Amino acid sequence: MVVVQVIVGGLLLGAIYALFSSGLTLIWGMMNFINFAHGEFVMLGMYVALLAVTWIGGGPPVFGVAAAVALAALGVAIYFLLIRHVARGPMLAQILSTFGLALLLRYSAFYFFSANFVSLPPTSLSGTINLAGIYLPVAQLVAGAVAIFLTMSLHMLLTRTTIGSKLLAVAEDRTAAMLMGIRPDRMQALAWGLSAGAAGIAGALMATAYPWSPSVGETFGPIAFVVVALGGFGSVLGSLYAGLIIGLIQAASAFWLGAIYKDIVVYGLFVALLWFRPQGLMGKA
Amino acid sequence: MVPAAGIDGQGVSKFLTPRAGVTLVVAGLLLYPLVFTGAFYRDIGVSFVLAAISASAWNIVGGYAGQVSVGHSMFFGLGAYTPLLVYNLWGWPPLLGIPFGVVLAVALSIAVGTPTFRLSGHYFSMATIAVAELIRLLASTWNFIGAAIGLQGPATARGWWDLTFRGELPYYYIFLGVLAVVLLTTAAIERRRFGFYLRAIKASERAARSLGVPVRRTKLQALALSAAFTAIAGSLYVVKTGFIDPDSGFGILVSVQMVIIAALGGAGLLFGPLLGAVILVPLQTATNSWFGGGGSGLTYIIYGGIIVVIARFEPGGLFDLWHRVVPERWRRAHVA
Amino acid sequence: MLLEATNVSKEFGSFRAVAGADLAVERGEIIGLIGPNGAGKSTFFNCLAGETQPTTGRIVFDGKDITHAPPEVHARAGIGRTFQVPITFEDMTVLHNVLVGAFLRYPGRNDAREQARRIIELTGLRADQPARTLGTPGRKRLEIARVLATEPRLLLLDESLAGLTPTELQAAIALVRRIHEMGITIVIVEHIMEVIMTLTKRVLVFNQGRVIASGTPEAVVHEEAVIEAYLGRAYRRQVSKGSQDG
Repeated sequence: MVVVQVIVGGLLLGAIYALFSSGLTLIWGMMNFINFAHGEFVMLGMYVALLAVTWIGGGPPVFGVAAAVALAALGVAIYFLLIRHVARGPMLAQILSTFGLALLLRYSAFYFFSANFVSLPPTSLSGTINLAGIYLPVAQLVAGAVAIFLTMSLHMLLTRTTIGSKLLAVAEDRTAAMLMGIRPDRMQALAWGLSAGAAGIAGALMATAYPWSPSVGETFGPIAFVVVALGGFGSVLGSLYAGLIIGLIQAASAFWLGAIYKDIVVYGLFVALLWFRPQGLMGKA
Repeated sequence: MVPAAGIDGQGVSKFLTPRAGVTLVVAGLLLYPLVFTGAFYRDIGVSFVLAAISASAWNIVGGYAGQVSVGHSMFFGLGAYTPLLVYNLWGWPPLLGIPFGVVLAVALSIAVGTPTFRLSGHYFSMATIAVAELIRLLASTWNFIGAAIGLQGPATARGWWDLTFRGELPYYYIFLGVLAVVLLTTAAIERRRFGFYLRAIKASERAARSLGVPVRRTKLQALALSAAFTAIAGSLYVVKTGFIDPDSGFGILVSVQMVIIAALGGAGLLFGPLLGAVILVPLQTATNSWFGGGGSGLTYIIYGGIIVVIARFEPGGLFDLWHRVVPERWRRAHVA
Repeated sequence: MLLEATNVSKEFGSFRAVAGADLAVERGEIIGLIGPNGAGKSTFFNCLAGETQPTTGRIVFDGKDITHAPPEVHARAGIGRTFQVPITFEDMTVLHNVLVGAFLRYPGRNDAREQARRIIELTGLRADQPARTLGTPGRKRLEIARVLATEPRLLLLDESLAGLTPTELQAAIALVRRIHEMGITIVIVEHIMEVIMTLTKRVLVFNQGRVIASGTPEAVVHEEAVIEAYLGRAYRRQVSKGSQDG
């Protein structure tokens, strides 16, 4: 029974991994750009949720939306102020830009929020539920379910809507897209907004179920990288599968090998991927 | 602006050409601890020379060849652990552990470079971060090397070879000597085919290949050389501090610092990393002490801010900025 | 036979970019590859240059099988190429750009420098000019100088004469002639008919991945299939008139 609990717990967390990684993979697919501050976006989403609860006193829908909107705005702003300028420049500048941003966001969070771990005050999602013998925190269950739903929605958005095809067009061939009247700049800004927004909601979802501190970005960032690498760069569906798999592997490793090994297994998997299948499960080589 | 490379008498680098400039720098470095005699200043001196060594080592593969590794701590850490390992295991002078560190670092560089150099740009950088992190995590669980606690060096000197000096002065000049070796090697590379091939690879691998440049082999050689020097920097660090643990050896901030320092001064330029170190290390010490308790937090906020600003406005670093600000006339008169 | 490509095909998934193309180049020839855009000539060209691996077929250069060899090996064997959009090393001077090429045959820096200066003089460039200050014609010229420094026996020019003014074009044609006179065999992909007519002795015409015609420029120009596929109606009218008159 414990095993099933571990598995389900891992999958639920993995769903959230999938959600925030889908944004990262979208950016990579569009611009060959990796946002090294992506983990910090998730972390900020968690804090926005906290602020929304303490200032406005809203429930999960409120702070979920607040996190999404705030981070989406941040993502778009970062695109216009920073990314757009470095994207066409030297590689070193590109790498440093989001790295510097990560440091800036992380340590600003330390400064404003202190290094203590915090949790959301009790919400409508508190408590545990008994599902066929396994005890699951309601928050985790809801968070996982919502995460899967949102990830699928993003996938649908990209593959079934006009705006989605415009985004994919820019990802495929920027020049051709331009010639067809699509504005790559706008699409890329939109992608950054979606990416950050997804990270924000993921953060808010996680905040309902797990405590955090400004340092969590440091763990989420690399997890997102692994999920994206496993799922295939540019594939949101791939991140969904990969996220679930990674969540599962993490939970299993923590359970059978010990907490520290859960990170080692994930990184080890990543390094193995780099060696043997850099394009991931569903990506193009 | 064009990095000159000595091959046609234009001087060894952008800044070396005014020979006076170089002499000034060398004199400044040699005299620094004799002018600033306080322990505090000398300590900063030792730190910035060490930072310059690491960053210059990184510069070979990251600045010249354009392969932005953000995982160089993997080499630094190897170089830092081996001296203390031979001391703790066999009672050897830590010095003797240095060659082991270099050999291991070179071996690791080939093991890591071979698959990752197939990847490009951001993916490559991410790969280097991942490998370094994996090594850090493994180190923190490996009891043989002290796991999360780390290793310590000789508390008191058993002889001069333990290199535990009381004052800062001996460390400063030893480190300066090593820096000179790294920079002279880099300068020599700049003038030769290898250096040109590195810069060609940075500019365009595709064009470089079409001209017969053995891209993969050249990148590996650059990484191996860079790894060797970085390992030595790690060894020097541990000789000075007498202590190492997974975070101070393999931590990401170690890697990031090398990159920032090189980028701040000017990546791909001979004296870029040194300039970056001379500015950033004292700055770091200053912000750490000014802001009291929350010191390191604010330090990193400033760090982050500086990095973003460089990336956004001056990716070529301060040397580049200097070349733009200084009037054309003055420059043409002095840069032969 | 300097270069022999037999039955070269390249497929990208289900799309056949090149289908069974043959090319035989004797030492000292100048061959043209023409055809409309998307006809497969660039892909074929990239196979010859080693950038693309053919799906089937063989490419033999001076007795050596180089079908699957990477570009570095091609360069060392004596095949040089230029790029459609010139890829010059922007942060270096003209001299340093050419040096990178020179180092292939002259590992020592003094010899390499001499070689570079020789080539720069030949191509009429200025050694100490920063590459980024060159205009398009200058960049194309620099690319040619740089690859010449590798002492190729076969030079593959990828639309190197496109985008030039009439005067620049004449100068470029003269340069290509000089290169040819140095004994270098040339294969040139080009859209500009003047270049093809005046420089090449033999052309291959590509369309939809296949070679649809091959022969002297004058002969090929009269072939119906070629006119239809590539030259367009206006040329067809002119050519018809020409053949009517004489």
